[in-house]
Amino acid sequence: MTVQSEPIKRKRRPFFLRRGPMENIATALIALGFLMLFQPFALVFYTWSLVTLLAGTVMFIVVSKFPE
Amino acid sequence: MSVINSDTTILEKEPERAATSRPASLARRIGGLSDRAIAWLFITPTIALLLAINIFPLIWAVRLSFTNYRANRPNAVVESVGLQNYQRVLTDSDIWIAMQTTAHFVFWTIVLQTLIGFSLAYLIDRKFRGHAFWTTVILIPMMLSPAVVGNFWRFLYQPQIGLFNYIVSYVTGVPPSSFEMLGSVSLAPWSIIIVDTWMWTPYVMLICLAGLRSIPDYIYEAAEVDRASAWRQFWSITIPMALPFIMLAVLFRGIENFKMFDMVMLLTGGGPGSTTEVASITLKREAFESWRTGRASAFAIILFVAVFGLANIYVKALNRVKQR
Amino acid sequence: MSNATSAHSVVEPSATTKRIAGIIVVLYAIVTMVPLAWIFMTSFKSPPDSISYPPKLVFTPTLEGYCNLFTTRTRQTPEYIQSLGPPQSTCDEITRSRNMVIAGPSNYWPRFTNSMVIAFGSTFLAVFLGTLAAYGFSRFRVPLADDLLFFILSTRMMPPIAVAIPIYLMYRELGLSDTALGMILLYTAVNVSLAVWLLKGFIDEIPREYEEAAMIDGYTRLQAFRKVVLPQATTGIAATAIFCLIFAWNEYAFAVLLTSGSAQTAPPFIPTIIGEGGMDWPAVAAGTTIFLVPILVFTILLRKQLLRGITFGAVRK
Repeated sequence: MTVQSEPIKRKRRPFFLRRGPMENIATALIALGFLMLFQPFALVFYTWSLVTLLAGTVMFIVVSKFPE
Repeated sequence: MSVINSDTTILEKEPERAATSRPASLARRIGGLSDRAIAWLFITPTIALLLAINIFPLIWAVRLSFTNYRANRPNAVVESVGLQNYQRVLTDSDIWIAMQTTAHFVFWTIVLQTLIGFSLAYLIDRKFRGHAFWTTVILIPMMLSPAVVGNFWRFLYQPQIGLFNYIVSYVTGVPPSSFEMLGSVSLAPWSIIIVDTWMWTPYVMLICLAGLRSIPDYIYEAAEVDRASAWRQFWSITIPMALPFIMLAVLFRGIENFKMFDMVMLLTGGGPGSTTEVASITLKREAFESWRTGRASAFAIILFVAVFGLANIYVKALNRVKQR
Repeated sequence: MSNATSAHSVVEPSATTKRIAGIIVVLYAIVTMVPLAWIFMTSFKSPPDSISYPPKLVFTPTLEGYCNLFTTRTRQTPEYIQSLGPPQSTCDEITRSRNMVIAGPSNYWPRFTNSMVIAFGSTFLAVFLGTLAAYGFSRFRVPLADDLLFFILSTRMMPPIAVAIPIYLMYRELGLSDTALGMILLYTAVNVSLAVWLLKGFIDEIPREYEEAAMIDGYTRLQAFRKVVLPQATTGIAATAIFCLIFAWNEYAFAVLLTSGSAQTAPPFIPTIIGEGGMDWPAVAAGTTIFLVPILVFTILLRKQLLRGITFGAVRK
């Protein structure tokens, strides 16, 4: 099992160039943006929610072009 | 290439067929277009329409969001103000409160609709007699116009004469004129949540039902062989297998309720005071009552970015469901 | 296959479970129908009956609500009404019994017609464009197809108010504000995204072999599209059309911001129906009832395709 998966593992791209994990990070970023937009605790978070949302969305679009 | 070849050979073999086929040489010329040309010919009109009616205005809104333009003063000098509009919107505590109102509305509608919708779907999936008919009956509210629904619920919520107050007082014994669903600060947000839940629970139910029906029987049969309890089966088979569908419904309701306008506008118009003023209503006031078009555009772009981010996740969820 | 031999399969719920589930679902369905039934009943009540306490379940039905919906009335002295000839119609009679005479038609019917023109016009255009685009995406290798499809879908997700600001300015420049054409174009743009996604799903299900066989028989690509694909896709096209129709019929946000007079549709008009001294609830209920009946019919027609429609064609059951 380990012997077989070894060469495949070596060929795989690092996680920051693969679609799956990066899409999850982007999704988390968008979710975080929403939390910041919606939270009632600190105005600062609300102020920076747009930047977070924008970063997450742009990242999502870019990352969805990456191979699996 | 091969298409054209086969076309010509057929024409050579059957001259009478070519002669009787429609005389329009133009049609023949278009008909002989390459697949590539046809593909573009078919797709371009749609894209062009969307560019003209959706994307061009959006770009215009982005441009306006950096200016102090006011739509009710078309002749005034328009100055660029840089990021000031965004700064104002994102530090305005009234708009921040509107966001919290929206959050309250989105959160509770999603919780209620998911709970009731999933339970209903689970019960309907027991396949009792006549379940198809009753499912159709349950689905009716979600097809109606939210504005018209909001308007007639305003009638049901009337403090003295409304059916809602009457039923509540009949059940609980509270006098029907002692509470105002739409007029009181504490109840108005809930009156909106009730109507939205009434209207959109069927939506969540329908998608959950599809999720439950997509679970193959053999998984349950295998669990039965393993003597897994019904409770155990529910939590380790039903819920995980239906989860992508539930997520799909939640995301879509989230997007829709985040931009909710018509129903709330007709029910409370944002009142009393600004207790039910959700983001879209604030935006409408900024844009079409205060006529601060530039600032409203900035706010619109912020809402758009948020919805666009969710839409990305939604399409990902759609694709995941599609593979099933 | 084992169902025939064994009493019931292991996953088949027991009779008691079924009965309990059935009772709960039926109860929910009945509760959910109460508001609609109430509106329907109110439309046949007289104004005093509609605002009586406790709410009246039993009442003498009258057409007053419908009369008030379709007419405008003026108050007159009883002497003047006596001096008129015999009433021309039931509505005339009801109106006179309230010491009023009919002054003319109300705006409801023109608004209803606007709704129909705009809904049908935009549906036709959206389905026409959508069918072409869906065929293009379904059968040909289009560069960046996924991105284009996402772009098409995302336009539907936009918050209407956010788009309404620049559309309002654009229509003001082009002279399209408060015109049926402007509304048709706008609703077409919103609906075409749904039409493309739904129809792509339906066309994907038609085997390519049909067209290929037709093309070997001498049809061109376009002829094959018209004579083979379109007939096969009729159900899908009809379902898509009904979805587009329902959206355009129900839409409020754009309508209230972009139309005010001649092109106003029914949803922004119905809430503005008011009577003498307070809301004329029977008239509002009558307007609502007439407005909702087409949707009820469509829902029943569509029930098998609903799931597909609300998930943009992703879930096909």
